[in-house]
Amino acid sequence: MLFRPNPASGVPIYLQLMEQVKHGIETGALRPGEQLPGIRPLAEELVINPNTVAKAYRELEHEGVIELRQGAGAFVSGNARAKELTDKVRAGQTIVTTAIERLRARGVTDEEIRRLFEAHLAGLSKTGDRRG
Amino acid sequence: MLWYKSWLETRSRFLIGLAVMMLTAAGAVLVYPRVMKLLPLANTVDTSGELGRQIREGAELMRSYRGYVWGQWIRQSLTQMGTLFAVLLGSGALLSSASGSSALFMLSMPASRNRVLGIRVATGLWELLVLALIPALLIPVLSPGVGERYPVIDAVLHGLCFFVAAAVFFSLAQLLSTVFNDLWRPLLIACGVAVALALIEQAARGQWTYGIFRLMSGEDYFRTGHVPWLGLLGSAAASAVMLYGATRAIARQDF
Amino acid sequence: MADPLAIETTELRKSYDGAEALRGLSLQVPAGSICGFLGRNGAGKTTTIKILLGMAHPTSGQARVFGLPADAPESSVEIRRRTGFVSEDKDLFDAMTVGEIVRFTAAFYPRWRPNLEQRYLRQFDLPRGRKIKALSRGMRTKLALLLAFSRGAELLVLDEPTSGLDPVVTEEVLQAIVSHVGSEAMTVFFSSHQIAEVDQIADRVAIVDGGCVVVEGALEDLRERYCRVQLVFESDAPEPALRAPGVVRMRRAGRVLSVLCSAGAERILDETRVLNPVSAEVVPVTLKEIFLETVRAGD
Repeated sequence: MLFRPNPASGVPIYLQLMEQVKHGIETGALRPGEQLPGIRPLAEELVINPNTVAKAYRELEHEGVIELRQGAGAFVSGNARAKELTDKVRAGQTIVTTAIERLRARGVTDEEIRRLFEAHLAGLSKTGDRRG
Repeated sequence: MLWYKSWLETRSRFLIGLAVMMLTAAGAVLVYPRVMKLLPLANTVDTSGELGRQIREGAELMRSYRGYVWGQWIRQSLTQMGTLFAVLLGSGALLSSASGSSALFMLSMPASRNRVLGIRVATGLWELLVLALIPALLIPVLSPGVGERYPVIDAVLHGLCFFVAAAVFFSLAQLLSTVFNDLWRPLLIACGVAVALALIEQAARGQWTYGIFRLMSGEDYFRTGHVPWLGLLGSAAASAVMLYGATRAIARQDF
Repeated sequence: MADPLAIETTELRKSYDGAEALRGLSLQVPAGSICGFLGRNGAGKTTTIKILLGMAHPTSGQARVFGLPADAPESSVEIRRRTGFVSEDKDLFDAMTVGEIVRFTAAFYPRWRPNLEQRYLRQFDLPRGRKIKALSRGMRTKLALLLAFSRGAELLVLDEPTSGLDPVVTEEVLQAIVSHVGSEAMTVFFSSHQIAEVDQIADRVAIVDGGCVVVEGALEDLRERYCRVQLVFESDAPEPALRAPGVVRMRRAGRVLSVLCSAGAERILDETRVLNPVSAEVVPVTLKEIFLETVRAGD
């Protein structure tokens, strides 16, 4: 994995790592069925806490992007699955791009857009826009 | 490793002290014939006044070889220089920054403060003992060279008297080293105390038969052949008390 | 059964000449965690560490390492037998050489690991014959780490391990720590005022300010619990007295009211709804924000 997490970016490190894995699958750097680095070696390489790697792997498994096999390690999900998911991600990206363009057209700034998304994802957003 | 570290800390002082004491001991023996030649001159000197009294006393002592050794070396060089080296050996502890090392590193080792202090004290005392005995034993060894004999038992006993009495100043310096963090203050204060005691002893010469320096030079043994057990015990007790004080001081300290 | 808590302090207090360095500091570090001890200069980090290692005595309160009392001389020796320590100034014996101090330290630890010693000497490029006073700060840090790692310790206590180091050496040091911890079952307790490095390698954090721990917990947990409620009003923002628990700090700037919460953002939102804000949103916060806001809470 040739990236260095940025602890100061505001994006949790485990999310950065998840993004890197998905990006790797998309670009073909990680092929379906290929083994991912072990949790400890990866933590050492990236100089982050092993729990952070573990969390990223768990979330990726939860999303179905990778499989965690007991005793064997982490593997990119077999053929169809991973491709399907990256397709899902691609589709998602299209939707997001459209939404963002539309918000921008309404004069919503990028900062506000980012916050709207994050807040909604955090599940607590109760935006009451009186002026709407 | 604590022994080795203590040795590293005190090694130079010890070796210099040992060399100096051995040189003065050898010097005293080898100079004897020359001094004997000058002895008759003492009678021609004006013997009134304090200086005259001292010259007279010196001449009296030199009538015997044993007296010469006691008067010239034991009472002077051994006692004076020896006290200085005792203080030097006692200044600076492994747990103070004076030793040029870091107290924090030593304190992070799994050794109790008592053990660290104890080993430092033990090293210093061994060195002081060697500093006392080896030069003293040099005298019976070299004396035949000038045609005289000096009893080994005298050398040993004087060496031991010096050791026990000088240990008091060593212990004082160690105690001061736990209180002050540098090398110089314990040294200067302990030397100051030694000088003060010496002056007091000198002034009270007529009235008292006690005195740490009197004990150190083994005067009672020299004059009467009786070993000053009480004085030696008292000195040992004083040293023990001060060293105990050092352990208490170091136990309470925050670094 | 090993104690689940590697380090535990209860209401630790320490005064130096009337000035209180620690004011009831309570801390728990579970075994096996990498815990960052974050605080400003003078907050009490080094004092706490010194007390844990028996170098200073607490005025009151309790400190335990591996379940053993830190203030009792015999148990303190046992604690140090199982702990590796690197002081803030990387204190070592300046007059010795690298090889000499390695031999000196090894003599104290029956469980010394010569293979680790060899590995780190090579990895850190430390020449055995070099005098310690001739080493750069980075090399001193690495040497101190070598001495701490090679003794087979269960706990590593590091006081500002990367202070004064350039980014390259900092990364090397952090990597050495993560790498070593990965292959041994150990706990790491390191103090720092570099939030980024705590974010990077720690899984627990304790924020200390003014001699007390003000925030403590698993990093993941803190990131989930803490958030900022941001309210915009039509005119100047009010300054409500909020009764919901978990309000860390409130700030007003013109028409915006910002509330940093340590938990229960929902309730705070409910409470503030009656104030009729024009918009209300909940925003996640970074460790840096948590730190800056909680240590300034007293201002």
